[in-house]
Amino acid sequence: MTLKNEKKLANVDIIQEGLEQLDYIGNQQIATAVFLAYHLEKPILIEGPPGVGKTELAKTVAEMLNLECIRLQCYEGLDESKAIYEWKYGKQLLYTQVLKETLGEILDGAKGLTESVSKLHEFGDIFFSEEFLEPRPLLKALKKEEGCVLLIDEIDKSDHEFESLLLEMLSDYQLSIPEIGTIKANEKRKPLVFLTSNNTREISDALKRRCLHLYIPFPDANLERQIVQARVPQIAENLRNQMVTFIQELRDMDLKKVPAISETIDWARTLILLHTESLDADLVRQTLNVILKFQEDIETVEAELQSVTNKALKENQ
Amino acid sequence: MDRTLVDFVKVLRTAEIKVSPAETLDAMECMDLVGYENREFLKNSLALVLAKNPEEKEAFDDCFERFFVMDKPAQAGNTSSDEDASGGEDEFDDGDFNAEGESQQSGKGGGQGGGQGGGEQEIDDSVPALQPTSELGKLLTNGTRTEQTISMMEAGRKVEVSKIVVFTQKGLFTRKIMDAMGLKGLQDEISDLQAQGGPGERNLAGRLKKSRDLLRERVRDYVEKQFFLHADETGKQLREELLKKVKLSSLEKRNFKDVQEVVFKMAKKLISVHSKRRKTYKRGQLDVRKTLRNNMQYDGMFFDLKWKASKVDRPKVMCICDVSGSVSNYSRFLLMFLYSLAEVLPKVRSFAFSSDLGEVTKLFEHSKLEEAMARTMRDYGNGSTDYGRMLQDFKNHVMDDVDNKTTIIILGDARNNYGDSKSEIVKEMYDKAKRVIWLNPEPKSSWTVGDAEMKKYAPCCHQTEVCNSLVHLERVVSNLLKSVA
Repeated sequence: MTLKNEKKLANVDIIQEGLEQLDYIGNQQIATAVFLAYHLEKPILIEGPPGVGKTELAKTVAEMLNLECIRLQCYEGLDESKAIYEWKYGKQLLYTQVLKETLGEILDGAKGLTESVSKLHEFGDIFFSEEFLEPRPLLKALKKEEGCVLLIDEIDKSDHEFESLLLEMLSDYQLSIPEIGTIKANEKRKPLVFLTSNNTREISDALKRRCLHLYIPFPDANLERQIVQARVPQIAENLRNQMVTFIQELRDMDLKKVPAISETIDWARTLILLHTESLDADLVRQTLNVILKFQEDIETVEAELQSVTNKALKENQ
Repeated sequence: MDRTLVDFVKVLRTAEIKVSPAETLDAMECMDLVGYENREFLKNSLALVLAKNPEEKEAFDDCFERFFVMDKPAQAGNTSSDEDASGGEDEFDDGDFNAEGESQQSGKGGGQGGGQGGGEQEIDDSVPALQPTSELGKLLTNGTRTEQTISMMEAGRKVEVSKIVVFTQKGLFTRKIMDAMGLKGLQDEISDLQAQGGPGERNLAGRLKKSRDLLRERVRDYVEKQFFLHADETGKQLREELLKKVKLSSLEKRNFKDVQEVVFKMAKKLISVHSKRRKTYKRGQLDVRKTLRNNMQYDGMFFDLKWKASKVDRPKVMCICDVSGSVSNYSRFLLMFLYSLAEVLPKVRSFAFSSDLGEVTKLFEHSKLEEAMARTMRDYGNGSTDYGRMLQDFKNHVMDDVDNKTTIIILGDARNNYGDSKSEIVKEMYDKAKRVIWLNPEPKSSWTVGDAEMKKYAPCCHQTEVCNSLVHLERVVSNLLKSVA
């Protein structure tokens, strides 16, 4: 594959740097995945808990390479007419109307049924042709001449049937439309495909086999500090360290939904809005609903709020 | 290197990472691209291609560390030997893996490895060094460490050390590898040298003997590593196979953890087989678009209607378990199985009894299996079995919930202590439910012996099965899932 910004994918370090410049802080595995995806021409299946930046990775890579990011959001009941293509019925109807009127001219001078039919065959039929094709995300991605980033988001929400539908696209970068034939991607500029999954159900082996598998876990304290720093640069270092320690503590607790990075970032923004300089138990209690999304969780944490806050303060004195 | 990769894939497979041939090819392509220089990079890359879920990633890390560990010492040996090559001509470093410091000494001592005593070194200085003639002898005295390691690994491949299964084979394989490396030639040479009896010959014989013993050590180490790599998991597989077939009542407490693992694995298999089965729903909202599309081929006549909803049909299971002493173990595993299947069997209601019937559904849903089982045993486990009472209880409390989609599984030996069997209630279940399955842990021949009432119950069941091992359990549950589709 040769993309216009190929040099940005030359090696793992350059990729990591490029991502960092766009405020996407990731470990080496993430950069390695992007590197291999490009050079082996394979899609990446990204798994991990919600809010660790799976979707963000695809968007950032698109931005880094200056390519369009085509997104297909999956949901139950998604089918080929929404994902691949659809016929423009209205136009097709109009076309038949027009055809009807010109039918006389076409069949002019024909004798007998056989001759008419053969004349009709000679007349190029464009009823099923690309003009009447409404491309949906997958087809659009294939037809992009300059390459693109295709993001198939939350694949685990779709049906099993849809997964099978994707296989042809993912392994050969082509799609078959029965009426027209096979449409292939530009051999030199295949789309860079990212699939994300929250693991609500097991993805089939057939799909997994065709992809590189990247697992993004919650970041460790160090990485998370860097991420907050990159995303919310206004925040004071002291407060940043405190909140990261606090969040890391929460992740060890028995919660229904532990706070992810996106919640940490939201929280950081909240704290800035409130002109906070240092964490204290009251403040945390008031803003707890930013990081915890279940009443049960909030209750669990409130019970231990004081001790966790103190710990966060102590560690970052 | 391809060969190494294939070996590595084999190791991964024994560690229960599913690697398809296509993925192996991907890995090769990936190795071509990545190269072998940067270990971390290679590891990350291979992990992306070969391990496809978080558990597999963990196992992969472990395997990678263990499999590629021997490369490091070999390289260290290599560099040190290269340095030594300028120091003395017939030297070799036979020290252990931290050979660097010792090999300096060997350069000065005129060719002896660090492991050898000073006395011999003096002799060595006075007598011109003899060269060994056998293949292995040459390799040991003149070859670099890397060459020796390679030769050892090649020999290992030849004798298929990766097929090692139990630890008692370690000695055998060590011997086989030594033989394959040409031990016999070396032995002959040593005894020849000793027979000739000159000081030079004796010296050489001594050195060869020493290095032979050291080589044996190394081969033993190597075999040991291979054993951990290949056989550890194979042994586990063997054990698991065994556990599947053994009678559940003879399982001991220490096996429970293993069994649980096996059950989860079997359950997972069943889930993946059955979760895809879907039934097109025949009612619901008309999917206009789909219908139009589908009927275009019939000239727009609508006779193939498409509906919006598609529905997964899942069985409603009621499971009645005898938890009295003799049968409790079977109940334990049946319940374990059913609750591991929560993904495809969301509607399991379970009841336990020895005389009184009690519902334990909530208990199993909310607490850990061990705990739930222990509490069930405590609450319902004592007292003599009374099937009549149980059935009466079932009729009074639960029968109303039984409908034609319900499958009732009864697990018990049907030994009623000569009480009233109340088989008419089972008949009622038979009429109301979709299926009634009776699982009996006893062999068929004793179903009618003594106080067993199977003769009365069996006609009122759709299916009666002997069920006393995990394999049986798996078959029953699989059938259960099949029958609803």
